[in-house]
Formats: sequence, C-alpha cells, structure tokens
Amino acid sequence: MNAPLANAGRGSRRQFELSIGCVPLRLQMSDAQLFGAASARYAAFTDAAAQPITITLNDGAPPEGTLADFGYELEGAALRALSSGIRFDGVRNQYALDSLLRVLLSWKLLDHHGFLLHAATVVRNGKAYIFTGRSGAGKSTVASLSPEGSVLTDEISLIRREDGAWRAYGTPFWGEFRAAGSNTSAPVAGIFRLLQAAENRVTTLRPVAILRALLPNVLFFSAEAGATRQLLEILSRAALEIPGYNLAFRKNSTFWEVLPA
Amino acid sequence: MSTPAAVSWQKNPALAWREIDDETVIISPNDSVMHELNDTGSFLWKNIDGKKSATELADLLAENYEVTPDIALSDTQALLEEMSSRKLVVTVPAGGGVSP
Repeated sequence: MNAPLANAGRGSRRQFELSIGCVPLRLQMSDAQLFGAASARYAAFTDAAAQPITITLNDGAPPEGTLADFGYELEGAALRALSSGIRFDGVRNQYALDSLLRVLLSWKLLDHHGFLLHAATVVRNGKAYIFTGRSGAGKSTVASLSPEGSVLTDEISLIRREDGAWRAYGTPFWGEFRAAGSNTSAPVAGIFRLLQAAENRVTTLRPVAILRALLPNVLFFSAEAGATRQLLEILSRAALEIPGYNLAFRKNSTFWEVLPA
Repeated sequence: MSTPAAVSWQKNPALAWREIDDETVIISPNDSVMHELNDTGSFLWKNIDGKKSATELADLLAENYEVTPDIALSDTQALLEEMSSRKLVVTVPAGGGVSP
C-alpha cells in the first residue's frame, strides 16, 4: 500500500496527498473506483507536505453566484478555483483527472516561478537535460534511448526557479514511455529544441530564440492578461538564464556526444 | 484605409510584453501568439503611450534614427497599421479612453 491514504471522515469521501514539483496537493473524492485508479497512477508522487492545495472532486454544483479566481473546462470536466478551495467537477475517469491536474499546476506554478513544458527530461551526471518539441519531434525517442532510471519524464517537464537556480522535476504526466514517473529533480543543464536530422549537431540559441522555442511548447490555459504577464516574466528569465540550443539529431543515442557537458 | 496622422495611439491593455535581447516580445493572452518587434518597432512601442499621434512618433523616430521626416512618417504609419491589424495597438478616441 502507498501511505498515506486516509479516510477524511466525511461520509465515504477519501483523500490522498501528493506532491508534484514540490507543489503539495490533496485530492478528495467519494468514487472508490476513481480513488483506486488515481492513487495507483500517482503512487510515486504520494507525499504528505504541509498546507496542501485541497482539490475536491465531483462534489455537486457549487453555490450559485460563486465566482472563480480561475476556471477551465475540458471535455465536460471543469476546474474551478474558489476562495474555499479547488473543485474538479464532471471527472469521469483518471484521464480527466490527469488533464485537470495539468491545468491546475500550470496556473499554480506561476506563484512558484515555474512552468510546465512539453519536453522529455533526462538526468545525466547529476544534471537535467530538457528536450522540447511538439509531438513527433523525438521526445519519446530521447527517453527510450536513455538509461533506465535517468528519465524524469518523456512528455511533460516541470521547471522551477528556486534560490536563484533552475531545477527540473519529474512529473506523473507521461507519454508513450509508460514507466512509473520519477519523483526527483536535478539542476538544469540546458534546454534543447529537438529537430530530426541525418547528423547530430548542436547550435546555441540567443535568449529571444529560446523564448520562441519555449512558448509553443508551454502548457498554459489562462487567457487572463495578468497571468500571461507573469508567465512571460518567468519564461523570459528562463530564456536569459538557462542555456538553450537547437539539437539536430539522428534517432540513436549518439546525440549525447555533441551535447555540451 | 489609413488612420489620420493626428490620431493618438495606445498599446492594447490586454497584452503581455517585455524586452529581451534588444527586441520587444508581445503575447496576446487569447491565442498565445508571440509577436516580435525589431529595433525600430521596439523604439516606437516604448513611445506609444496613449497620447502621441503617428506624427509625434515619427518626429521621435527621425530624431533618434537617421531617417528623413517623410520616411519616418510613412514607416511609422505602416508599422502602426500593421500592429493595429494584429490588435497590438488601438487608437484613442478624441474624448480619451480606448476605442472598441
């Protein structure tokens, strides 16, 4: 069993606590089947930290006239951030829960100088190499070519600035690789934009080009100007402080030979 | 159709923007599209304040860059029209405030 799993004592509602990128979350739900699926899915990220963000699933309609700080709807499932806490409604399965968790994290990370990026992250010699690109760019290929245990994620990377330095965290949001997510982190060595080619080649990017490479791959769901300004500040800082490169690579592990140490 | 040179311009208040690498990067929250302005565009962007007209902006451009006043005005108007078509800037109505 993955502790801590506890009964909240409110009817049949159960809860468990997890932490993704050091953002503590508490999920509460009464659906036993969904609870079982979710606690298995996020087993590696189970964590009991102080002051988690409480998320209540499928708890009926919120009081009429309640205004949300942030809201998002996705295929019938809805996220509402209220002053009383976060509500996920219409969550029929673990995949809908997973999607809403990504949306929530992308918003909450703004206050932690962080963001979610479509990218595979591989740890080598204690440093995180972040490989970004759209679907088909080669993220899963990079992950599959890397030693077991070194891949933090093959799909969604979490990047945060802490104490003046950038760290990459593993996430439970995986793509094709389908291994258990790795709940660890490492200082960032660089961001590499994947381009498939006949030969391996690395070229350094200017900060504005790094920003250009990051933006289409950032997960962000708010259309609010203030949140977008916060995101732009975080991404610009990342572009100025993290080395960025174009990585033209063949689909084999020889690309490591051209990466900067 | 061109906007009269005496009309004042202001930045679209819904946008997020900042300078990086001597360029200005602007993001519109609705579509997350990134717009980039070069050196001259960034200079104009910094000076678009809801008060200055194309004529006044062109005067500043001519003072700071080696261009004649008539070229500065046509460049400024072309850039403002381009930015307006991308909803980066809006004209200020005679009574003040942002036009719809």
